[in-house]
Amino acid sequence: MTKKNNGTTVNGMTLDPTLAGRLKGPKSGVPKRWVAVLVIVAFIAAFLVAWIVPKSQAEQPTRQDSVTIGLKLAPTNLDIRGTAGSALDQLLIGNVYEGLVARDESNGVKPALAKSWTVSDDGLTYTFSLNRDATFSNGDKLTAADAVWSIQTLVDNQYHDYDQLRNFKSVSAPDDYTVVIALSEPYPDLLWALTGRAGLVFDSKVESNAATATDMKTSALGSGPYAVASFNENDSVVLKANPDYWGESKAQTATVVVRYFTDDNAAVNALSSGDVQVLAPISSSLATTFENNPAYIVQAGDGTDKYVLGMNNAADKATGDIRVRQAIRYAIDHEQLIASRGGTDKLLGGPIPSLDPGYEDLTGLYPYDLDKAKELLEEAGYDENNPLKLTLTYANTYGTEIGDQLRSQLKKANIDLTVNVVEFSTWLQQVYTDKDYDLSIVDHNESHDFSNYANPDYYFNYTGDHAADVQQLTAQALSSASESDSETLLARAARLVSEDAVCDWLFNYRVTTAMAAGVSGFPVNMNQTVMPLYDVVYVA
Amino acid sequence: MKFTLQRLGLLVVALAVVSVLIFAAIRVLPGDVAAVMAGMNASPARIAALRAELGLDEPLVVQYLSWLKGVVTGDFGTSMLTGQPIAAIVAGRAAVTFPLILLGLAIALVLGISLGCAAVLARRCWVRSLLQAIAVVGGAVPALWAGLLLILLLGSGTGVLSVLPTQGFPQDGWASPGRALTCLVLPALTVGIIVGASIMRYTRSALLDVETNGDVIALAMACGMTRRRAMVTVGLRLATPQLVSVVGLTFAEMITGVMVVENLFALPGIGTGLVTDIGQRDLIAVQGELLMLAAFFLVVGFAVDVAHRTLDPRLERAA
Repeated sequence: MTKKNNGTTVNGMTLDPTLAGRLKGPKSGVPKRWVAVLVIVAFIAAFLVAWIVPKSQAEQPTRQDSVTIGLKLAPTNLDIRGTAGSALDQLLIGNVYEGLVARDESNGVKPALAKSWTVSDDGLTYTFSLNRDATFSNGDKLTAADAVWSIQTLVDNQYHDYDQLRNFKSVSAPDDYTVVIALSEPYPDLLWALTGRAGLVFDSKVESNAATATDMKTSALGSGPYAVASFNENDSVVLKANPDYWGESKAQTATVVVRYFTDDNAAVNALSSGDVQVLAPISSSLATTFENNPAYIVQAGDGTDKYVLGMNNAADKATGDIRVRQAIRYAIDHEQLIASRGGTDKLLGGPIPSLDPGYEDLTGLYPYDLDKAKELLEEAGYDENNPLKLTLTYANTYGTEIGDQLRSQLKKANIDLTVNVVEFSTWLQQVYTDKDYDLSIVDHNESHDFSNYANPDYYFNYTGDHAADVQQLTAQALSSASESDSETLLARAARLVSEDAVCDWLFNYRVTTAMAAGVSGFPVNMNQTVMPLYDVVYVA
Repeated sequence: MKFTLQRLGLLVVALAVVSVLIFAAIRVLPGDVAAVMAGMNASPARIAALRAELGLDEPLVVQYLSWLKGVVTGDFGTSMLTGQPIAAIVAGRAAVTFPLILLGLAIALVLGISLGCAAVLARRCWVRSLLQAIAVVGGAVPALWAGLLLILLLGSGTGVLSVLPTQGFPQDGWASPGRALTCLVLPALTVGIIVGASIMRYTRSALLDVETNGDVIALAMACGMTRRRAMVTVGLRLATPQLVSVVGLTFAEMITGVMVVENLFALPGIGTGLVTDIGQRDLIAVQGELLMLAAFFLVVGFAVDVAHRTLDPRLERAA
């Protein structure tokens, strides 16, 4: 209170300016009714405007020049050569980058940059003839030299997925439009491997020179129907059609925006408010809100996602005992598990899903049978008074429900499950790298990945009864010159793995896609790994 | 002046301590950015090569010192995963979070102070009780729930009155200011209502505090003011220092506190970004972001202290 009171008093009235000011003012005690009326009128007006405006916009449906697609797993950068994660394959392969060959909707091989190919009888030489008019989005011609440079640097610098090219010996270009890949031993999966990152062709004229090379983490230069116009990490990517695209799969929509939603509610709100036209994946429970609405299409597609209950087969673990692992497989009611998730997923009895070579229906090997489970556990030395105590460690991306459900199912077979949900990177360290775990859940979404079971260092620690046989069969399968022989061998190995109860295969996850009714051309099968967007059209 | 300098010194010391804590804490966590980058099928050799490339194989002290050197010269480094400078990443996210907080805080202040005053000054007893109940209930509502309710009420597509966008932020950010602003209205309302409820309680108790402790209000009334007038003009002025501390700290807390709201409305802000970066063990990014947050927190605390002094000269005399 530093101000001095210098007011003086005359006839009982104060001359202090602050107090006098207050005295002069008229009393404002009467409530201003017109303010309240104004507020109410404004509210009603807002209501009416909101009600009427959308209805007046009923026009003839037209093809939109922009489609927005909502996805879940975001890539952290665009570097498809240096960074792991199927989010990059999903976004870039077939849209921005193209390979020698591509994958079709049933996981087979189809032509892409190479219009045709031949395989020598001994299975050691693959000769591809390239399309002659292929160009990159910057106008550069795409020739065999680009393919050779791309594959050679992949192998030399050990870029991501270089190990998919098993038995690789050399790559060469006899002329501008012929590429020859030579193998040291046959590898029946080579063509399929080339549909992924290993077969992508980059612009060698730009990328081989350090001065002109693009920053692959933030931009992407390819030969595909789309080019990346902008990229906000973890949020969105804008793809613009390449007007001079060389091939037949020209982009049908000028702009495709891909947005990533970590929150499922936000994703659903985005679809219902029309901010996105496609949502993949959407959980079955959330999809029900759209299923009975004619303004939307909901479809489930096949895929190679295997939800695996990994078990630590190491001898010093309780799960090292085959009887325990078998008991766990008998104790799990897979049908109930699938039903509780909405019923779209498929039963899976072994390591190979129906879209992969070597598939065989193995669901009959370990049917749900609690008595048998208890019996096996008793043999192994566990019963009601001495229950088996196990810990289930898995990444938080899969939610807590699945772990809770397994706990309650296994409880009935006298197994006490402690569920430990951790961050993905913690899981990667503890379970995957250090192999310090009993049980774990992982969505192994890779296709053609059976060889992991033939790797004794893989996190399952599978060195059990038939491990040597499995290794031998797999090695034979992967170096067989005939694809059908290879499939038979893989099927035999897969049966052994399932019989040994190396893991339990909870289900074959099927991805559910929800779309606005005017959308067509969006791939429904396997769209979490291969998502060609050139055909996507939205009419509204 | 001496006070300000003293506080500045403390701020620098605190920042140094915090930088060590941050650096150590995220290295204690299990998990490895190289393993995340290389993916599940990577060979150990590839992971080791990546670690070397990222400088993760060097001794911790060397890593710390080189990071600190960068920070002191204003270079927070580049993210291991995105390859973009940390400062640019944080700036991009702050362009969403800060406007959201400011908008939310504005709503909270308008709601909180006016209702807080009303809760003390309303003539009827039941109005006061009702307002008090609103303050308690409003403070207990989880942000997620409030947000969902607002979406059901006002969100376009789902809402009863479908007027406002419920998620996302324009691709080009503030280049389209109208759209950017409408995207922030619902999230800001969500934040504003919840924070407003707590400011309402603080306002109420601060006002009552001024009235019961000391004779200021009685004196003002003796000078001819009504109780209401005395409370609003004199009482609020005297309660301001208390409110400034509360608002200052609320502001700092909101930066990470609005994370739930950012997630719900799919806004690419600081909170969601930080969680993603920690999940992926992007060490350089997390270090930079946490240090900036800590610095911000400390600066706000410092500003509140200084503001206190200016607003309440009695403190200076007491010292």
